[in-house]
Amino acid sequence: MNATTRSPSFSNSNTYHYQTNHKRPTTSFLGTLTFTNSSSYYYITSRCTSTHRAQNNRHNQNNFLLVPKATASQTGKDNKNKNKKNKTESNKKLVQDENVVPANENEAEPIKLEQQQQQQQQPSVSISLDDVNPVGLGRKSRQLFDEVWRKFSGLGQISGTTRADDRDALDALLIREGPMCEFAIPGAQNTTVLVVGATSRIGRIVVRKLMLRGYTVKALVRKAEEEVVNMLPRSVEIVTGDVGDPYTLNAAVEGCSKIIYCATARSAITGDLVRVDYKGVCNLTKAFQDYNNKLAQLRAGKSSKSKLLLAKFKSADSLKGWEVRQGTYFQDVIASKYDGGMDAKFEYTETGNAVFSGYVFTRGGYVELSTKLSLPLGRTLDRYEGLILSVGGNGRSYILILEAGPTADTTQSKLYFSRFSTKAGFCRVRVPFSSFRPVKPDDPPLDPFLVHTMTIRFEPRRQRPNEGPTGPKQDLRSFELIFEYIKALPTGQETDFILVSCTGLGIEPTRREQVLKAKRAGEDSLRRSGLGYTIIRPGPLKEEPGGQRALIFDQGNRISQGISCADVADICVKALHDSTARNKSFDVCYEYVAEQGRELYELVAHLPDKANNYLTPALSVLEKNT
Amino acid sequence: MALRLPTQLATPGKFHHHHHHHSKTSLSLKRTIAPDAAHFSPLSSSTSTGRCNVGPTRVMCTAEAETVGVVNLAPGTPVRPTSILVVGATGTLGRQVVRRALDEGYEVRCLVRPRPAPADFLRDWGAIVVNADLSKPETIPATLVGIHTIIDCATGRPEEPIRKVDWEGKVALIQCAKAMGIQKYVFFSIHNCDKHPEVPLMEIKYCTEKFLQDSGLNHIIIRLCGFMQGLIGQYAVPILEEKSVWGTDAATRIAYMDTQDIARLTFIALRNEEINGKLLTFAGPRAWTTQEVITLCERLAGQDANVTTVPVSVLRWTRQVTRFFEWTNDVADRLTFAEVLTSDIVFSAPMNETYKLLGVDVKDVVTLEKYLQDYFTNILKKLKDLKAQSKQTDIYF
Repeated sequence: MNATTRSPSFSNSNTYHYQTNHKRPTTSFLGTLTFTNSSSYYYITSRCTSTHRAQNNRHNQNNFLLVPKATASQTGKDNKNKNKKNKTESNKKLVQDENVVPANENEAEPIKLEQQQQQQQQPSVSISLDDVNPVGLGRKSRQLFDEVWRKFSGLGQISGTTRADDRDALDALLIREGPMCEFAIPGAQNTTVLVVGATSRIGRIVVRKLMLRGYTVKALVRKAEEEVVNMLPRSVEIVTGDVGDPYTLNAAVEGCSKIIYCATARSAITGDLVRVDYKGVCNLTKAFQDYNNKLAQLRAGKSSKSKLLLAKFKSADSLKGWEVRQGTYFQDVIASKYDGGMDAKFEYTETGNAVFSGYVFTRGGYVELSTKLSLPLGRTLDRYEGLILSVGGNGRSYILILEAGPTADTTQSKLYFSRFSTKAGFCRVRVPFSSFRPVKPDDPPLDPFLVHTMTIRFEPRRQRPNEGPTGPKQDLRSFELIFEYIKALPTGQETDFILVSCTGLGIEPTRREQVLKAKRAGEDSLRRSGLGYTIIRPGPLKEEPGGQRALIFDQGNRISQGISCADVADICVKALHDSTARNKSFDVCYEYVAEQGRELYELVAHLPDKANNYLTPALSVLEKNT
Repeated sequence: MALRLPTQLATPGKFHHHHHHHSKTSLSLKRTIAPDAAHFSPLSSSTSTGRCNVGPTRVMCTAEAETVGVVNLAPGTPVRPTSILVVGATGTLGRQVVRRALDEGYEVRCLVRPRPAPADFLRDWGAIVVNADLSKPETIPATLVGIHTIIDCATGRPEEPIRKVDWEGKVALIQCAKAMGIQKYVFFSIHNCDKHPEVPLMEIKYCTEKFLQDSGLNHIIIRLCGFMQGLIGQYAVPILEEKSVWGTDAATRIAYMDTQDIARLTFIALRNEEINGKLLTFAGPRAWTTQEVITLCERLAGQDANVTTVPVSVLRWTRQVTRFFEWTNDVADRLTFAEVLTSDIVFSAPMNETYKLLGVDVKDVVTLEKYLQDYFTNILKKLKDLKAQSKQTDIYF
């Protein structure tokens, strides 16, 4: 039945009985060490048996006669121990060992064979040279023995230490990807996160946390020096680049689905601040959006991430429904005497362009192009988070006005506006719904579901001259806007870009203004980018372990405490897949008791803990799009 | 190194037996067997001299705390309290400690033996791996530079001599830690180790505890009962793979605990200044016998286990036999647990006070039912797929 089985028990009644309730016919081996349970044993046994089948009966009998001889001197377990000893002692014993073990097997086999022969006459099986190779058989039986011995010696242990070979298999289950790992996050393997500022105090911990959770991590570093590389886990992909240099960022965002930005300027020099804290964010969002757009084009129209076409201007017919209007914000009596007038037209040119052009010389005047939105059946704009316009022209800025309210009664409609600039030449402009502000400050924030009319307005106020060859000669009161299309950008569930900003606390007063200005500019450019964003403004950072103290999440720049870098890193990582974190900006610090008279009763503290996700409840009460 | 080490500390071979507060129970009978076996063995004399931990001998260790002041040789940058060194980082518990530490924002350095297959996973997580061998004390000091806290979860592997790492290595490490002004030392010991001097590993753990307490280092000693992770390899996987499960019929109960919980509680304890110098025992929510664990696994796996029950008497007997051979001595050392297993001992401790001390909620500690259930529900399918593949290559007789 088994290669390690020996027959001594026939003559030795003192042997310990290991008999278990096997279904297989092992009764004749009662009292021996029968390890019949592992499939690997069967494997070897079957090979041995086939060997024997090929051998003639006389040979078997000879072996059989050896049996009492072997058992007379030793008990089964002595035999076993001796065998073990042989195995482990040294190489020179190997040869001897290999000779011994097959002999032992032969002792055992005939008995079984006899049984079989009694039960049925089996036809002989063809054998290969390998089957009769005593060295090979010896090796196998030793492996077998090792296995048994290991289990046996393992019994006497409390902690159940596993051996190295078990470990690799178990590691995969328990540590790396397994559900046994409290760090495991579903889908983390398929998520690539770009960490900018990976060697910063927060960034270092962010990278580690991501690695622990099985994310693929890319780190953007300015120089891949040894000192820097050593600071990062080895399987982090290192990309060399500079957030101040847009051309280096395309490689960095390639393949990434999320970005965590924890870089900050190392000096208070305005140039540095603008480069890292403002332009850096700006450049990276652009690179990321470009990359996303490229991906979306590959899967055009088929994914839920596809954009919704609102208007496409490819023929003269497509201009139908658009209405050109003009008006003035105020009536200036003196100025009206010198009124230069205004004019605008929307036409389809021979070159195949839909062009909205004209001039406004009247002070306080404007011209606009308006249409009622007709969405495809079953589509509403609340599943989208912004508009994207592909336009060309001479680089003026415009105001996009959305009218929202019940379609049945347009008098109740409320107006919302957002300003966007264009470049000379063609460009795509993203206008997130979150950037729209009500015309009447008291109106509620824009609800995209209710939007029924869209207007693009030109006014000469607040126009800036273009840079470039057209130079200062241009008249800022005239404009030309070429439309290609207008689409709605689909909403994502999660945040795409996490920015670690600051509250300004803890910065020396002399440079606070400058730092905050750059940080705020960076935040703004992220909010406008159309990416799902999370902006974290931690209090002064402390280098201490995280997860120890309750945190306060707040909006409105009221917090007064510091926070550990590890806690900020934890918020970053948790926010990656938390839909409540999308499009939110918030301050966070350690819990504190407010001074008398300055209690902030709405602040709720949340303790970071393994069991509960503190971030979702904390963020769900906070406002979006602030 | 200008370290003022008391000479007594530097010679770990100097032990004498002591029997304080050790009640001679029924175990003493077995303990008299062991030396006899050793005496008969023709090979026992060739084992290393100064052997401190075989059979009934007890290790006495003294450290003269009063002569050792903390030598602060470097008045420069103070070490950051977030910088820790984990010894035994590749082990079952050690790796969880490393993960926990990294996740909580510690700067983690791992002391790892130089070996051909380096512990890549530690580096991948972001820990810094330094090579040193506890059995070579000269390799230790360099790894301690800039370290605030040492967390020691090392235990010798089954295949190596217990004394080399677990005793001599630890003594050297603690001495170095003391000399280099390490500010906290966390040591993981075994529950009830003071009650079973006949088990070499427990004996050594107990002596290390004593040594650490006498060293004057700021320390925390945490005694552990058993790891849930160990059960996976021992019972859960074999049951799923329809291989035989080996168990004893002993009535010993062990309060298994999730190593992730142990790591979590360890760091809570580590940060609590009130726990300095204390001895904590971490036990799981409930103590289980081997049979109960197997039954639970069977229920969760939905299939019967192929149980091979080894009577404890056999284990004991085997241990005595193995004492005859030099090469099995370490196995015999391990098997002395068999003796512990025979006594209907409970490896558990009331945790209420510990939870209170640490401010931990009982509900947050994973129970074995929950742990195994998680395991089986998640792995069942995966393992069966694997098994289906591997089965095709096996030939069944």
